[in-house]
Order: sequence, then structure tokens, then C-alpha cells
Amino acid sequence: MKLTIDRKAVTAKKDETVLQCALRHDISIPHLCTHSHLSPFGACRLCVVEIEDMPGYPTSCTTPAAEAMVVRTDTAALQNLRRNILALMMLEHPSACLICGRRDLCEEYRPVAEKAGRTTGCHTCNNKNVCEVRTLAEELGFCDLPIPPSYHHRPVDRSNPFIDRDLNLCILCGRCVRICKHQHGTATIDFVDRSSKTHISQAFDRSLLDAGCRFCGSCVDVCPTGTLADRYAKWYPKPDTITKSTCIFCEQACALKLEANKGELVTARAVNEDIPICVLGRFAIPEFLNSTDRLRMPYVRVGKVLRETQWKEALKTTAAKLKEFIGDGFMLVCDTTSTLEDRFVFKKFTRKVMKSKNYIEIEPNYRGISLSSLPKGTKAVLLTGKFVPSSQLNGLELLIVQDCFGTNVSQRADVVLPAAIFAEVNGTILDGSGQKRPLHKACDPPGQAKAEWWIISKLAQAMGAKGFAYRSAGAISKELGISKAKLWVKRDQAPEAAQDLERRRTFFRGHRICEKVFALRELPIRDSSVPSRAVSKRTDGFQILEKYEIAPNVHEIVIQAPNVAKKAQPGQFVIVMVDEKSERVPFTLCDWDAEKGTITLIVLEVGQSSRKLVLLEAGDRIDHMVGPLGIPLEIKQYGTVVLTGGCYGIGAILRIAAALREAGNHVIVIVEGRSHYKHYYKEKLETVCDELIQTTIDGSLGIRGHAVDVVGQKLKDGEKIDCVVAVGCLFMMMLTTRETKPYGVKTLVALNPIMLDGTGMCGACRVTVDKEMKFACVDGPFFDAHLVDWDELRDRRVAYSAEEIHLVGRTESVAPYPGHGDNCRCLR
Amino acid sequence: MTSLQEAFTKARIQWDKLQDSKVPIFFVGAATCGRAAGASEMLERLRGYIKAKSVDALVIEVGCLGLCYLEPLVIVHKPGAPRVCYGNVGPDEIIAILENHVLGNDPCAQWALGKVTAGELEGIGDFNEHPMLRRQVRRILRNCGLIDPENSYHYLARDGYRGFLKALEIGPGKTLEEVKASGLRGRGGAGFPTWRKWQFCRNAPGETKYLICNADEGDPGAFMNRSLIEGDPHAVLEGVLIAGFTLGASQGYIYCRAEYPLAIHRLELAIGQMRELGLLGENIQASGFSFDLTIKKGAGAFVCGEETALIASIEGGRGMPRPRPPFPAESGLWGKPTVIQNVESLGNLPLILNNGAKWYAQYGSESSKGTKTFALAGKVERTGLVEVPLGITLKDVIYDIGGGIPSDKVLKAVQTGGPSGGCIPAEKMDLTVDYESLTEAGSIMGSGGMIVLDEDNCMVDIAKYFLSFTQEESCGKCPPCRVGTRAMLSILERISAGEGEMADLDKLETIAQTVKDGSLCGLGQTAPNPVLTTLRYFRKEYEDHIEKCRCPAFVCSQMISYHIDRDRCTGCGACARICPVKAISGEAKKPHVIDQHVCIHCGACLSTCPDVYAAVYRRSGELTRYEARREKRDKTN
Ligand SMILES: Cc1cc2nc3c(=O)[nH]c(=O)nc-3n(C[C@H](O)[C@H](O)[C@H](O)COP(=O)(O)O)c2cc1C
Ligand code: SF4
Ligand code: SF4
Ligand code: SF4
Ligand code: SF4
Ligand code: FES
Repeated sequence: MKLTIDRKAVTAKKDETVLQCALRHDISIPHLCTHSHLSPFGACRLCVVEIEDMPGYPTSCTTPAAEAMVVRTDTAALQNLRRNILALMMLEHPSACLICGRRDLCEEYRPVAEKAGRTTGCHTCNNKNVCEVRTLAEELGFCDLPIPPSYHHRPVDRSNPFIDRDLNLCILCGRCVRICKHQHGTATIDFVDRSSKTHISQAFDRSLLDAGCRFCGSCVDVCPTGTLADRYAKWYPKPDTITKSTCIFCEQACALKLEANKGELVTARAVNEDIPICVLGRFAIPEFLNSTDRLRMPYVRVGKVLRETQWKEALKTTAAKLKEFIGDGFMLVCDTTSTLEDRFVFKKFTRKVMKSKNYIEIEPNYRGISLSSLPKGTKAVLLTGKFVPSSQLNGLELLIVQDCFGTNVSQRADVVLPAAIFAEVNGTILDGSGQKRPLHKACDPPGQAKAEWWIISKLAQAMGAKGFAYRSAGAISKELGISKAKLWVKRDQAPEAAQDLERRRTFFRGHRICEKVFALRELPIRDSSVPSRAVSKRTDGFQILEKYEIAPNVHEIVIQAPNVAKKAQPGQFVIVMVDEKSERVPFTLCDWDAEKGTITLIVLEVGQSSRKLVLLEAGDRIDHMVGPLGIPLEIKQYGTVVLTGGCYGIGAILRIAAALREAGNHVIVIVEGRSHYKHYYKEKLETVCDELIQTTIDGSLGIRGHAVDVVGQKLKDGEKIDCVVAVGCLFMMMLTTRETKPYGVKTLVALNPIMLDGTGMCGACRVTVDKEMKFACVDGPFFDAHLVDWDELRDRRVAYSAEEIHLVGRTESVAPYPGHGDNCRCLR
Repeated sequence: MTSLQEAFTKARIQWDKLQDSKVPIFFVGAATCGRAAGASEMLERLRGYIKAKSVDALVIEVGCLGLCYLEPLVIVHKPGAPRVCYGNVGPDEIIAILENHVLGNDPCAQWALGKVTAGELEGIGDFNEHPMLRRQVRRILRNCGLIDPENSYHYLARDGYRGFLKALEIGPGKTLEEVKASGLRGRGGAGFPTWRKWQFCRNAPGETKYLICNADEGDPGAFMNRSLIEGDPHAVLEGVLIAGFTLGASQGYIYCRAEYPLAIHRLELAIGQMRELGLLGENIQASGFSFDLTIKKGAGAFVCGEETALIASIEGGRGMPRPRPPFPAESGLWGKPTVIQNVESLGNLPLILNNGAKWYAQYGSESSKGTKTFALAGKVERTGLVEVPLGITLKDVIYDIGGGIPSDKVLKAVQTGGPSGGCIPAEKMDLTVDYESLTEAGSIMGSGGMIVLDEDNCMVDIAKYFLSFTQEESCGKCPPCRVGTRAMLSILERISAGEGEMADLDKLETIAQTVKDGSLCGLGQTAPNPVLTTLRYFRKEYEDHIEKCRCPAFVCSQMISYHIDRDRCTGCGACARICPVKAISGEAKKPHVIDQHVCIHCGACLSTCPDVYAAVYRRSGELTRYEARREKRDKTN
């Protein structure tokens, strides 16, 4: 078919839509709800075009290309319409970051998204790096909202294993619903309710599990926004490598697309997006491989203890020990999850070097269990997994364990060798039908773990054997005569476990997978029980009396702490440990009541520790608290004081403002939020200042812009300001500093670096002020902003972000905290 | 099974006997509207009386005659006298009519609306000359209120199923020609030429085709389809047969909202009767045409009246529209070519076939042929269901048929087409009622809602009313409709609360245009019409709201302030006692005052102040609390 698109003559294929045809010819048309694997839906309306002889603005994604059609995709009317449609869509999506005037600076200053609970803008959105909405907004030049946006105030749903759902971000493109139907024939999730209440859910609002979800993750993969997220991978930065390989959890050998960041595996997805893979393939691999239980170093038994050592020594010791057991008294046990190359080396080693016929290769059963027994007369054993019950090992003279995880078997071993497995190695395996499938190394093994062929070859060499000088798995394949294996991409049917959750494997080389991948414990399994987590409530510590989410992601927590309340002064903070294993985190004392013995904290959920805190409820207790800490702000007569606050700072300046005003200052409070719904405490603040100014990035409340813009304007207008105090995130405080510097206005900032003890012992909170080293906990938190080394501060704050991301990436579900219910205070 | 011919004969005899009945007959309008007006109680009394006194009389429940403002309606057959129609017949009146007219000699002229059959009766004129009926042309509604809808013989006796037989006789091709020649256009809203839809479907490849009768009738206040089904179900079903036959469909569906239990009941009964008569099933009337019918009950979502959503709903899915093409006529129900036709469109078909296209097209304008039913409501003297020839002017409908505006009020506008339509201002009452001119004026013909608005109606409020309906009924699929309607509504709410700004009007227009151009289905595409037309014709009123905080119609409560005239107030204290927020104070027998800062604008004082004093008065547009508040807001910004 020949047609014209934007005056360009093009040819359409049979059954092609106008959009497909245009895209194939490099003519771009914005589109969101359309997805290459799904039939057109026509919901987002962004792909509208003009077609001669067709009334109105048909959507190109749903209009079949036809002979002699004349299509325009770029008229001014179309651009305008698309922009207006996007603006409407953005009324129900946090969009302030998209229209923020300081966006470039913000991106530069904090390139990675903050790990927020709910997202109220791109800067705290897990989707930031790959967001189609953001890209589109840029392309369309989206800049203004016709009316203030609304926020749905839906609690973020973390009650299902593996999948986080923040419906406040959903644009209802329906991709998830359609892909679920496409993958499984029936949709687990669907649109529920009408009008603005429409949302994605399961019938009768059951849990995903009860609704029959198979956790194939397809919906997560197609979601163009941050709504649906893989809980484990959510906060990793954009992957830097993508490798295709094969899953070895079961004989289905699904082809995987493995994404890694700095050598660490982040996600695994199906290569063939049209056929789902099982929960293990989609969600378990990174957490499994990145587990803290992995063996990282070789160990050698010295007397009663296993001692960590280096490879060189480990190999030498092992070789020496093995030499004593040459002959049929030696046995090597492996299973077929080792690559053909590995197994070739194992066998060659057993036969040629150890001169034993006892090479045993186990085929795991349908659960992945590989079990073997030791024949009589066995004296020395090399195990590549937990294949033998530990009771059988009693009579052995030498036990060598080469494994990926430590177990009660490796505990008894004479030598423990850390093995690289799965996505960490190259090689070839056989699938259930006997076809060869390739493994490609996609990430780095933990610590010093090595490929299995490497370990055994080196061992052979250490024993003086010839013919083991392999340099790569490829060299072994060549010797084996294995031709290039192909990924199993084009299959007709999804593996059984992808259709029925309960048919998945539960063991890998004798290790229970769910002990490494926690969320798997929440999934049913047909014929075995799984250990459950014991939860105990504590009865000591500091009790939470009240807890409200007063703005999205901002929690007001009132805690019983009479001793802190008695001594607290404006500007001081406390350090909190939520439970005995928690980090110690500082929180500003926002308010206190010495009489009642209570303190109030404003907690922003931005990471593991704040998450732990906000997941508690009124009545629960926190483990530990010290405070009040820090030097209170000097309360004296400054003249006119401007206090600026953002996020938690809006609350944190409450008592400071009150005290300053009492001391006779003229107090101007300027608070900022991305949008109107991010503001709180208006009434409270009004009572403690002479002038209250609210700003929003999107202009939906008060003045449009940041708090610092107002400060800047006041300074420019020559208003007399004697002192500026800024409390908020680092970025906001840094901005304020920049703005006031040229005017030489005294500016104080409340610094919030990482702290540990809070008493000046550990030095974690070190900051450089006026080229001098200070400890924020005892010398601060207030410092002269113009003397602070901001770059150092930022670098120190993100020092542990990789570890933190790893910690946050727990896949198990957590009970939802009650979001804005009907009687929530902030909705009043 | 009785053969159809036999049935025709029997029906004729039965009907004739009914006309010359030797026993008195009460034809009681007992459709849903009649029942709502009290027909049930009246029927109960009537039947009770007849039984208790062993009066030899028949009671037949019939459909709606359309004079809703006079309901309950009864036509009384007294042997030897012309039949008389009575209005506003309550339980007492019906007994009086029975005793005085039927059993006595007083025809009760005070309640009579007119003679339905020929003959003389003292003081009673012709029913057809009743002002509400005189200008009507009742074709589709020809049987409504006159026949027993549950008795198929009544329909058969009134030329029933002759149109279908004609179609069988001339074959599908000629039937299509006939429908084409008649110029019939869809009565469901959009007015698409019926024959063209049929032709698409006939030309679409594939053996299996479906016909769906759309009886979802979701417009608030519309009841044309319900009345037709309740009053004359066979007329619709005959239309279904004709359409099914022309299309070569073997299965038809009637998609009726579950809130219409009586209509569903009558349809079920009628379908059973059709089976009896050999009008459904295999090889109907030995013509080789086989056809069956199923009723599907809808849950009452407005959007399910949209063709593709309706199909999704019948298929068991969520009633959510999908984009076209493919059009249902190519790929509809279960992916097969499907024609969806409104109840009234189908009701026209027997007439066209039986009387010929030429006869049918004698009424109407150039492009809009035939007659159309309207549910006339709002500020007119005579409300009800009317049928008028297309091409009639709005003025004629409102003044001649509707009797004009009550209480000497001034006509302000006419709203047609329900939530998808718009408001046509009083200056444009010479507009003819046809598809093109209504669209031209920014409204639509719609399915037949016609609401008359007078000076007491606030146009901002009207726009808000319809928009809040569409907003809630949006299926949520596409952002222009889902979010756009809500955005417009919030602006309107702001305006009517006295917090609007002039820039809001441009914003409203932009959003309205985006919703119109960008929405996926008809619901969204037409949802802005009430806003756009009121903005177009009543911009001044919007500006008054915004700039002067003034609601000229005294509807937007936040813009009305209540005051007490010192000179008229006697200090009786009635207002102070009724005020829910204790805003009124004053000593006994001394003039009272209203504290404007406390008043919540409920108007209770105004209606409570005794008429003799009439001391409370209201104002809009002067400095009200809301203006004060706005001033304060402007200052703080
Ligand atoms: C939101 C929406 C609601 C509708 N509701 C109805 C309805 O309740 N009844 C109806 O007959 N047509 C309704 N329609 C129109 C139908 O989609 C369709 O045009 C009609 O059934 C076609 O029949 P016709 O050609 O006989 O008019 C609706 C359309 C839209 C867009
Ligand atoms: S999905 Fe996230 S990154 Fe994308 S526009 Fe929304 S908030 Fe920004
Ligand atoms: S994970 Fe798979 S099965 Fe579950 S809802 Fe998403 S697409 Fe459906
Ligand atoms: S959850 Fe994601 S994929 Fe699903 S409708 Fe919302 S934005 Fe689209
Ligand atoms: S226009 Fe409205 S009703 Fe129609 S598909 Fe879009 S959201 Fe649904
Ligand atoms: S891509 Fe066409 S409507 Fe969304």
C-alpha cells in the first residue's frame, strides 16, 4: 500500500497501522499506551494525527494504514492538542519536576532518584532513568497545568511479593492489563471503578496472589511509569550492561536478558517478551546471586576452625590432601546445573587425575532436589553442592566443598572453595529436550568466587596433572567439540512454572532458594512447607503515640520520650534506632511537649531506616533513642529573620520560628513544596510567624517557584533581611546559600550528614566549614552556610548509597500502612 | 402454535369486540410514569370497588399517552357513548367517574381531556384537539396508551407484523432500498443513516451477523425508549425482525438497562408471544429466515450505551469503548459484523415497510425525515412525551405543544440531547428541529431529551449539572474525558462558588476543545457541549458570576446574600428560630438582622418570613461574604 505521511511517500505493510508505518519510516509520533507486543488500545490519545477525509483527529495507533491515505503528524493543531492532552494526563500524575525551573541544576546535583516511599515527582521516582512520560513531556514542550493537579492519595501497595505498586503514578494506559491477558489468556489485573476513581486492581481487591498472579513480571516490564516496580531492582541506577543468557534454575532453560550495574546483577527478564517466564527467572536470580550468604573466599580447616585464605594457598593445601586419596576411594558429586564444560573438567579430573571411577552426576528432580548417597569405601569426597545429607559424612577422611553458599555441610568440610555460578559464568548447558543452551557471563561473582572449571583445572594443575591449562570455558567447549549453542527464544509455550506458580523449583544444588530470596516464602508450593518468618512485637523502648502521613511521603510521628521532651531546645535533634539491627538516624525535633512528655518528628521516607520507622504504627515501639543532641540555634534579636523550609524542614522550623519571634524578631517563614498537596502545617506555621509564604514548583499554591526564589526577590527588592535560616534537603540549602551569598546576608543551615553516635566520637558526620573540620553532631547542626564545603558534604552523604540500595531491595512484602483514610487529619 | 393468518383473524375479531364492548372498560395508563404518578393506588381502588360491588366492567392496563403532567390518565369506554380520556385521575376521581359517568349520566366533564372516539358528549371536545396533541404526529407512539401491551392480538389488529411480512415478500435487498428511500436516520443520538450502516454490515464478509437493539437509554431524564417498549413492545420487536432479516442476522440482542424491570418484563412476554406466533425461531413463516432474540440486562452505566462499550458488555467484559475503525458493522460482537440500532429507530421500521417510504418521508425536513419523540420537561406548562414531525420549530414545540413557560416567567434556553447536547438560547427558537440545525447551533438532536429553561435557571449551574453527570460516567479509559471533564467541573465549581477568574473562561474553552477533539468515544467527544454552548450563548452570565459575584438566576447559593428590610420586619422571630446557624438576631418585636459572616445562604429565612411581612429579601452581586473573602485572598497573594 502506498500512502503519504507528512508529504513523504511511504509504503505500508499488510495489517500495519499508521503509527507502525510511520515509525518504520522514522517519522516519530508520540505514543504511550501502544506497545509493540500488544494490540492497539487507543487510550492515551497522544498519537492523534490528521488524515484527509477523516473527521476529527484519529489515533494513529488504531487506524489501519490504507491505500492513498494522506496523513499529517506534525501540524500546529496536533502539537497543541497533544500538549493539552498531556497536560490533562499530568493533572493526575506528579508532574512538578517536569515543569520545574531548576530542573537542570537538580539533575546535575542529584542524578540518582531518591528512594522515596510514595513518589511525588521524578526526582524520587524509580522510573526516572527510563521514563517514557518524561521523554514525551520534553518532546511536546509540556509546561503548564490548566488547574491545580490532584493527588490520589492512594497508599503505596507493598503487600504483594516482588511487586511494588504506587497507583498515584498510574496514567491508566492499560498496558499491564493487556500484557497480563496476552501472557496468560486471562488477566489477573484489570481496570476497576469509573471516572477519576478508575484504577488498576484485582477483582474484588484481592491480593495479587489470591487473584492468581504468577509473578511473571510482564506488567512491571511494560509499565511506562514508575507505578509498577520490581521491588528488588527499583532503586538501582540504570543498568550499564545487558547480557543474554540462559536460566539454570530448571530444565526449561528460558532465555534471559540480564541487566547489571557495575558488575552487580539487577534484573532478569525474558528475552522473548511474548512468552512469560516463571517467578524464579523473573524475580529470584539477582537476589539469589547477590545474597549475603554467598561464599566469597576459600577456606581451609586449621584444627577445629575453617580459616579464610587465598586461592594459591587453598589450592596447594587441597592438592596435597587429595594426593593421598587417588583411586576409587575418591568421589566427585555434581549435578547438571553445572555447565557441560565444568562437568567435562570434573569428570576428566576424577578419571585422569584421581584415577577414580566414582564421578557422579545427578539430575535434579522436579523440585530441583539433587540427592546422592556415598558408596561404601568412600574416603574422600568433593561436593559441588549440598548433595549429601550431613549425617552420611561421618566416616569420611576428606571433605572438599566447592559451592556457592555456605551450609552445615560446608561447615564440616576440610576445604571450602567459593564457586561462581549461573549469570556469573560462561558455558553451555542442556535443556530438558537435550538441546545445548549457552550461558554468558553477565555479572561479577562475589568476592573471589571462581568458575567451577577454573577451580578444578587449577587443582589438577596443582596436583601436577597435564592437559588442564584451560584459559576459558570456550577452550573447553572446543575440546569437547560443542558447537555454538543457541538461546531458546522462539518457544511455543510458556514453561509450566510460568503458568502455575506452584510448579516452580524450590532447590538449587541442595540450597533452598527461598532462604536467599525472601519473598518466595510467601508463595504457595504444592507439596512442601516453607519456613515462615516469626514476628515479635517489642514491649520496651519508646512508644509511638500517634502517626499520620500528613502529606504524601511525609509522616508526623509523636513519640513518648519524657526525658528528651524535658530538655529539648529549638534546632536540636534525636538519633533513633528503630530496632536492634537498625542504622542510627538523626531526626530534627520538630515539636515537643515537656508536660506530656512527648516529642514530634517529621519523617520523610527516603530509605531503609526511615522506611522501617514509617512502617510502624501508633502503639508500636522503637528500640532506642538519644537526644536532645546538637547545639540549639542561638535565639537572640537578629532583626528580620527569614526561615525557609522544604520537605521535613517545613515542620522542622516550627519551634525555631516560634522562639525567634518570641525573642522579638520579625519572622518571615517561606516554605516550599512541589505541589499544593506537599504542603502541611499551614495553620501551625501561621501562628508562629509574622508572614507566611508558601511556594510550589508548579504554581498550584502560593507563589510559583522555590522558597529561595522568594528570598532572592526580597533581596533584589532591597528588603532588609538580617538573617536567613534554611532547613531542608541538601539541594535546597545549597541553593539558598548561593542566593544569599552575593548580598552577604548571614545564612544558617541545619546540616544533615550521616551520623552514628551523635556524640562526636565516630566522625561520620564530619563536615568542612571554613576549611576547618567540624562534627555536625556536636558542633552543629547549624553552620554558617557560606563557609560550608557543599561538594564534600554531598559526596559524604551518598557514600553508602550502594549498600543502602542493596538493603532496600528486599523482595518480601510488607503490610500496607494505612494511607490517607477517611479520617486522616491531612485531608481535613 | 396458531398460524399467523389465524391469529390475524382472531385478533381482528377480538379488537372489534373490544371497540363495541357491551361492558364498560377502563384503559388505565400504567406504565412506569403512570405508576409513579399514582396509577397503582388508583387501580387498586378501582379493582377493589368493581369486585366489592360486582360491577360488570373491564380494566386494561395500557402504556403512556404522553401527557405526563396530567397523569394518571384513564380512557373510559362506556357502551353507547364515545370513549373519554380523563386526566389527574386519583383513587377518588376514578370512583366518581365510575359512579357518575359509567353507572350514571354525568360524564364528569371537569376531569375530561377529550373524546377519543367519535360521538357527542356534553361539554367534552375532541381529545385530538387537546392543545398538547394538536400539533403532534403520533406514528411511532400510535399504539401507546391505546392497546394492551401484554396482548399481542391488540398489536396484530393494528396492522402488526404487516411490515415484516412485506419485508419477507420483497426480500432483503428491496427492504434496504425502502429504508434508504425513507431517509431514516438513527434515533439514538448521532443520526447516522440507517441504511448505510446496514449496507456496510451486509457487505462485510462472513456468514454470522448480529443485530443489537440498544435500549440502554442512559441520558438522565430521558424515557422515550422506555415508554415505547412499555406501551408497544411488539412495534420494537417487529423492527428488530425487519432489521435482522435485511442484515441476514440469525441472532439478535436487546440490551436493556436493569432499571427498567417493567420494560424487560413486557419484552420477555412479547418475545414469548412471537415464538407462539411463529415469528421467532427456525425458518420463520416458511421464509427460510431463522432468527432468535436474547435480552441482555445492562447495569446502567451511561457509557454502555456507546456501541463498542455495549458490545464489550454483552461479551462479558468491562463496558469500555474501543476505537473505531473497525466499525461494529465490520467487526462487532464476537468479532462479527454487527448493527446496533436504537429502540426508536427500530420502531420506525414497521411503519416504513407497511406504508412505504414515500408515506414515511412526507414529514420532515430536507435531510431529516419522519417524526421524532421527545421527552419534554423543565419549565413548560405541559410536560410529557411528544412526537413531532422533524423540521418543526423549537418555538412550536415549546409554545404550541408545551403551552409555554409557567408563571409568566421568561424563556431562557432549551437544552436538547441531554449531557451530550447543549443549550439553545431563547433568541433561536425559530430553529427547526433537525439533525443539522441542532448541530449547527452547538447542540445535538440526541435521543430526545428536551429541557426548557427559564429565567430561574442558572446556566453555569446547568453546565455543572450535566458535566458532573458525564464526569462520573466517564469510563476512565482516556485522559481527555477522564481528567478533562473533572478539570472543567472544578473550574465551574470555582466559578459558582464565587472564586472564579476571567482567565478561567479561556481555560474552560481550551479544555473543552481538547476533550472534544481528543476523546476516544462519543461520551467524551460530546461531554463539553453543555459547557461550550452556555459559554457561547451565555458568556455574560459567566462573566457576571466571575466579575460581580452575581448569579442572576439566584441559584448559586454562595453568591446570594439574605437581608431583612428594617421597615417591614415586625420582629416576629420566625426567621431567627428557623436559621440553622443562628445567624439572625434581634429583640422581640424589633427589626432583626442577619450576620453575613455567619449566614450559610440556605434561604430558610426567606421562605419562613410570613408573606404578610415579606421582610426578608435576597441580593446577588453586591458585596457578599464571598467577595469579601476574595478580596482578602487577592490581598494575601
Ligand atoms: C456515551 C454514549 C451513550 C449512549 N447511550 C445510548 C443509549 O442509552 N441509548 C441509545 O439508543 N443510544 C445510545 N448511544 C448511541 C449509540 O452509541 C448508537 O449510536 C446508537 O445505538 C445507534 O443506533 P441508531 O443508529 O439507531 O441511533 C450512546 C452513545 C454514547 C456515545
Ligand atoms: S513516572 Fe516517575 S519519572 Fe516518569 S514522569 Fe512520572 S514521576 Fe517522573
Ligand atoms: S506479574 Fe504476570 S501474572 Fe501477575 S499481574 Fe503481572 S502480568 Fe499478570
Ligand atoms: S500500572 Fe503502569 S502499565 Fe498499568 S495502566 Fe498504570 S501506567 Fe499503565
Ligand atoms: S471518552 Fe470517556 S467514556 Fe469514552 S473511552 Fe474515553 S474515558 Fe471512556
Ligand atoms: S498510542 Fe495511540 S492512543 Fe495511546
